[in-house]
Amino acid sequence: MSAIHLQGLSKKFGDFTALKTMDLDIADGEFMALLGPSGCGKTTTMNMIAGMEEPTQGRILFGECDMAQVPMGRRGVGFVFQNYAIFTHMTVRQNLAYGPRMHGASRPEIDRRVGAIAELLQLTPLLDRKAERLSVNILQRVAIGRSAILEPAIFLLDEPLSNVDAAFRAVMRTELKHLQRQFRQTMVYVTHDQLEAMTMADRITVMDHGVLQQVGSPIEVYNNPANVFVARFIGSPGMNLLPGRPAESDRGMVIDLGPVGLTPLLPAKLAQRLRGHGGDVLFGFRPEQATIAHEGRGMKAPVTFVERIGARIIVHLGQSESAMKVVLDNDARVSLGASAIITPHMESARLFDRASGAAIGQGA
Amino acid sequence: MTMAVASENEMSAPAPKSSAPAQDERARLGFRLTLPAQILVLFISAFPLLMQAYISLTDWSPLSGTNWWNAWEMWNTFANYTDLAMDGRFWSALWRTLVVMLVCVPVEFLLGLALATLFADDFPGKKLFYSILLMPMMVVPAVAGYMFFMLFQSGGPVNDVLSGLLGFPVAIAWLSDPKLALAAVMIADIWQWTPLMFLILLAGLVGVPQDQIKAATLLGANAWQRFVTIVVPKMKTIIIIALAIRVIENFKIFDTLYIMTGGGPGVATETISVYIYKVTTQDLIWGYVAAIALAILVVLSVAAVLAMKRMAANREAAA
Repeated sequence: MSAIHLQGLSKKFGDFTALKTMDLDIADGEFMALLGPSGCGKTTTMNMIAGMEEPTQGRILFGECDMAQVPMGRRGVGFVFQNYAIFTHMTVRQNLAYGPRMHGASRPEIDRRVGAIAELLQLTPLLDRKAERLSVNILQRVAIGRSAILEPAIFLLDEPLSNVDAAFRAVMRTELKHLQRQFRQTMVYVTHDQLEAMTMADRITVMDHGVLQQVGSPIEVYNNPANVFVARFIGSPGMNLLPGRPAESDRGMVIDLGPVGLTPLLPAKLAQRLRGHGGDVLFGFRPEQATIAHEGRGMKAPVTFVERIGARIIVHLGQSESAMKVVLDNDARVSLGASAIITPHMESARLFDRASGAAIGQGA
Repeated sequence: MTMAVASENEMSAPAPKSSAPAQDERARLGFRLTLPAQILVLFISAFPLLMQAYISLTDWSPLSGTNWWNAWEMWNTFANYTDLAMDGRFWSALWRTLVVMLVCVPVEFLLGLALATLFADDFPGKKLFYSILLMPMMVVPAVAGYMFFMLFQSGGPVNDVLSGLLGFPVAIAWLSDPKLALAAVMIADIWQWTPLMFLILLAGLVGVPQDQIKAATLLGANAWQRFVTIVVPKMKTIIIIALAIRVIENFKIFDTLYIMTGGGPGVATETISVYIYKVTTQDLIWGYVAAIALAILVVLSVAAVLAMKRMAANREAAA
């Protein structure tokens, strides 16, 4: 019943297309993250699921039920707003009791449910506090509790951690994931922070400019990006993408990267897919999946900058189109300005069509 | 970050020793510099009050041939106040003023709130209607009084419209009927001051956080429930301000009313301001006028203080 199906969903605001035709199935009990930069249509999608906005076209189904005629108060959807939208003029108790009260529950029934949800979320000692002066993590629990008390089958969360400082976000992520395990609802989680999506979601839907880019588990999206946008967007820093064209060497197939030189041999599978392709490609490899040496043969580029980020260093190499980054342990010896030999881990390297940006020969 | 904290500590560490006398010195200088202005303000606000208190204890009148500062020659102690307590015309004027207030302010409030709710959403022609709606507020009250004086003539447009609606000729003498005259005056007040109420309440309504409204909707609240549980509590402060402004202003109702009825017929629309005006300009017993004004000031001040205490207590209970 609580699976969500989006069928040919689109939304236009005047001339502006917020969401192009989108099809998406979210399974019952799944934690789905909608991930993308701001303005990619993720919040619009969620608002349509909640019923706050009317789709321009397409259908939204919860299980078998078409939601078109169901107003937002009747969809059985829990919604946690970006700023939590706690009723600041009420106490925690009144906030939690709001849903049942509006649904006409009896006084003892309300007390019982508020008691139970407060116990679950460890809000019992705070019940009679004014919601105005609570800290962010408590506000989040109140926001979740206020929706959860109605036992919605579907929970929608709109960037709930974006107002929280970085250190605290880690705590909240764990707490949220823990809560989802407790409630076992279908969760749709909108975020622009890939770390949140990666750590919490069962599956991630990557979006950009109102277009669905890829749906998959966090590891799939990371390992096998469907296109250049996902490759760059996921990972920090994103995947290196170097323009080149396929070339045959004496031992097999490689990519000629122009000034950078030739890549190591392509793995057999990748080489096979590439044969049918022809034309210019983008050679992609993860900054974490490469090593650097100062001597030897292979891809060559000068070190232009070294960023130190504590445990790791990010080495910037090459320029303009063939700029790339490699992440190394912080004890690696790299000399600035010197030419370096880059050896990517070829099993995890990926190829993309240069014109369309789509992945070639996906799957390991 | 740590640097900034450290230097702040260094700065503040020796400060307490030298700051106490320095602060005193600064306060004294500030006091001396503002003293002339303070005296001026005190003089402006306190002098008329003291003068009034002084005159209210005498039988002085501008016709008595002495200057006001020599009013002690006509000293009558509290005679004016005892007269006031027995003055039926005063009490009925006060009562009438309260009736006007108790009718006008709630009607203005409810109309203003309804209009504000309407204008919080978009609809075609909103800007035009908005301008039209605010126009009564811009009309000089004396002019508004004249407009309604004309409208409510027995051969005037109000009766014409009623005739058209009811289908038989209506010729009500609005302003010369003791009961209807007060109603006509109230209608004029409501016409003129609902826009102000509307304007203040609209500002408050627009300030209600939209996401909380949405959250309430998602939790199953219907429009009326949202209004009662979210909108009104959020607007509480602004509602109190709007009501306070109108209560105070309405208590002083004068210009429109005076032009429409002159307080008549008889004393049927004589409010406290009209009564004071008549005693001042027609009877010229200024000692008595001073006593009335002072009594009203005391009553209003006590009411205001009580209301504010109540509000403060509410706020504390809420916090």
